[in-house]
Amino acid sequence: MGMKVGFIGLGVMGEPMVRHLRAAGHEVALWARRPESAAALVAEGVPLCATPAQLAARSEVVVTIVTASADVEALAFGAQGLAEGFASGAIHLDMSTISPATARSLAARYAERGIGWVDAPVSGGAQGAREATLAIMAGAEAAALARVRPLLEAMGKRIVHIGPPGAGQVAKACNQMIMVSTIQACAEALRLAAAHGVDAAAVRTALMAGSAGSRVLEVMGDKMLRRDFAAGIEARLHHKDFAILMDEAAKLGVPLPVAAQVWQQLNALMGQGMARDDTSSLLRVLEAAQPGA
Amino acid sequence: MEVGFIGLGLMGRPMALNLIKAGHTVHVWSRRRESMRALLEAGAGDCASAADVARRAAVTISMVADAPDVEQVALGPAGVAEGAGEGHVHIDMSTIAPAAAQSIAARLAAQGIAALDAPVSGGEGGAIAGSLTIMVGGEAAAFERVLPLFEAMGSSVTRIGEAGAGQVAKACNQILTGVGVAAVAEALNFARKSGVDAAPVREALLGGFAWSRILENHGQRMLDRNFQPGFKAWMHHKDMRIVMDEAHRLGLALPAAAATAQLFSAMLGSGLGEDDSVAMLKLLERMSGGPGE
Repeated sequence: MGMKVGFIGLGVMGEPMVRHLRAAGHEVALWARRPESAAALVAEGVPLCATPAQLAARSEVVVTIVTASADVEALAFGAQGLAEGFASGAIHLDMSTISPATARSLAARYAERGIGWVDAPVSGGAQGAREATLAIMAGAEAAALARVRPLLEAMGKRIVHIGPPGAGQVAKACNQMIMVSTIQACAEALRLAAAHGVDAAAVRTALMAGSAGSRVLEVMGDKMLRRDFAAGIEARLHHKDFAILMDEAAKLGVPLPVAAQVWQQLNALMGQGMARDDTSSLLRVLEAAQPGA
Repeated sequence: MEVGFIGLGLMGRPMALNLIKAGHTVHVWSRRRESMRALLEAGAGDCASAADVARRAAVTISMVADAPDVEQVALGPAGVAEGAGEGHVHIDMSTIAPAAAQSIAARLAAQGIAALDAPVSGGEGGAIAGSLTIMVGGEAAAFERVLPLFEAMGSSVTRIGEAGAGQVAKACNQILTGVGVAAVAEALNFARKSGVDAAPVREALLGGFAWSRILENHGQRMLDRNFQPGFKAWMHHKDMRIVMDEAHRLGLALPAAAATAQLFSAMLGSGLGEDDSVAMLKLLERMSGGPGE
């Protein structure tokens, strides 16, 4: 049976996610900070609300997928925010990548009002959103997760309950560390092959079959070889994620020596003006350090 | 000069005493009354709040832990801004982020108060001896007016530039001292793990291009296994976080500082936070298989 679902965040991920929810029989409504970003869906008959509070008032679950911790906080508890509109028992399902601390704090504030919370950040990028194959890592009380599971199943393939609120964001931080560090490792390996005068494409093909094979080597390695640096996911978003995870690690007293170096490469990428390019541009950061090489 | 002093910790107490010694009239206030005792015994005026301090003095100095404390003292309820008269100068000698220093200076300026950021290097020893290195950001006119106060506390006083510039210099100082402590600890640990007595290694190096004050002072304390603070590792960790946050904001790669910041994180997470930074040596020994004798 379809649910009444609100959706906020119609970027490259959000729009296909809305289509999957509708295809699965859910009744979706929208709110958008820039109403023009909703134009395509509105033309297909999806209603657009005037404020987040109005959207919340007509929804059992509101899904958000926006950029930063502060955006989610403002949507939830800002003026005319979701919290003003939610009925008791409603759920805020946040699929953004934000800090675990913010997720825990929002969950606690909602709980005081009898409103549920699920943090369910995703991995898989624009392609995963289009094909409904996203990996979804959830932080929530079991009952809240059970209620939104049909929605998650419409948008993703692998849904794992990691733990209580905030735990999904911890898993996402681990995901970002491994993924971006691997992008850096791929870029370094391709540079090494090229420096030896060896065909980097052949190296990549060989490696894909062995222990170094990975999704990143497959997708980002290919983009690097084709020198296609158009985003997928814009590098500035990975840069933002690294600031969050490194800051939390510092507070916890956990050393992350490799991630710390990758963060510096991301800083260099930003400084070189490639914020809106794909993170495979880490290859170009290495090249810039050796002009002419 | 009539001077107010707020923040009478390890550093602030001897700095305020040196002001009295130089013939200035000092007024003090502290959240914890017992930290005021040494100053009151030396003849300092006893105040009820930061505003009260500012009312009695032409210049106030703060020396506290972090940006929120500086904000509170300068702009909070019963803070300096409430008590300060026409032409008041507020000097913050704490180590905080350059952006925070600029923001505080701008808000004080809007209330007719000239603000200087004047962080120091030289540790407790330098504070007691009146030999601190003082790096100042803010208007030249205000700097000239309070120069005699700086000269009572430090032996090297430099105006770096406008508001926040003192904190930029201090961040540079923390990069050099943080990476320097790690380098000295690595070198001494390397010598000993190689089966060589580290003391004559240090001795020899002091005569060459690897000479540094850190090799001289911190290196000696490492050889003596004297890990008493001094400058606590958690404070250096805090300063390195300021540095890394600024690098993120600026799109700037700091690979060596990043590696060092992770070592400080490891110190915090393994119970070395209250030791002096030279306990970096203990961390490296553990990483490489057990502490030394």
